[in-house]
Amino acid sequence: MKESKNLFDRISEQVSRGLAQNTSRRGLFGLLGAGIVGMSSIPLLPVARAAGNGQPQASDLQESGDDQSCDYWRYCSIDGFLCTCCGGSVNTCPPGTEMSPITWIGTCKNPEDGKSYIVSYNDCCGKSGCGNCLCNTNEGDRPMYVPAKSNDINWCLGTQSSVYHCSTAIVVGMAFE
Amino acid sequence: MPGVDNPQRAHVNYILNCQGCHGPEGSGSADGDVPRMKDFLGNFLNVEGGREFLIRVPGVASAPLSDTAIAELLNWTLHTQSPDQIPEDFLPYNEADVIQWRRKTLGDVAHERERLIVRMR
Repeated sequence: MKESKNLFDRISEQVSRGLAQNTSRRGLFGLLGAGIVGMSSIPLLPVARAAGNGQPQASDLQESGDDQSCDYWRYCSIDGFLCTCCGGSVNTCPPGTEMSPITWIGTCKNPEDGKSYIVSYNDCCGKSGCGNCLCNTNEGDRPMYVPAKSNDINWCLGTQSSVYHCSTAIVVGMAFE
Repeated sequence: MPGVDNPQRAHVNYILNCQGCHGPEGSGSADGDVPRMKDFLGNFLNVEGGREFLIRVPGVASAPLSDTAIAELLNWTLHTQSPDQIPEDFLPYNEADVIQWRRKTLGDVAHERERLIVRMR
């Protein structure tokens, strides 16, 4: 028992001395600082918020095509300016705009795997209309008197500003076949 | 989940018909005047008139879904978003409930909702 304690003591002494002689405290703080800054810069993508629970994430998708073109599969039911042409992406709003939490939802078939997915067309709000890449595809769109299924409505609801800028197309799940 | 034959189908029906306004977790939107269902919806089952109210609200009554699918969707939403508020003697919604109440139009949904919430206190 005594011997194993001595052995343990010797090992810890060697490790401590080694650390003290070969590393600097500033180096450790630098490393920790870099870690903290690095972690906080990983963005919280809105796709995770919109996707909710138990449904496939956009990252699992096999996709092809140009997401700045109205023909891109996710835009089968869109009515507005593409955020991909306005400084944002298919899942994120351009800087200086706010994503509407209230949104128009449709389904589109992905030609890559032939499956239908549920797409949430969250509008980005707070700047005047972007004006680039206007698309009006409207698959499954219903008249204004069925408001929950109509994409002619300004869906900038629940945002600080109701001024429409552009539309995203976030995959939030797989349709039931 | 009682009264839910296919949870996946119920979830997809929720996303397509409810989530756009109520959000993925049923949190609603105070700024957008969308009622919160999370940790609240089940309270309606504890007051007189509340059970049928959940069928008669415009979003449910006019959803493009069959009576059976509506019953399943209501049971799924209650159990997923507000399990702690469901009374112990709750009987899951069924097709007959939806047939009975869906067609009875609510004249003033906001007023009726307020009346039921007063009863919860």
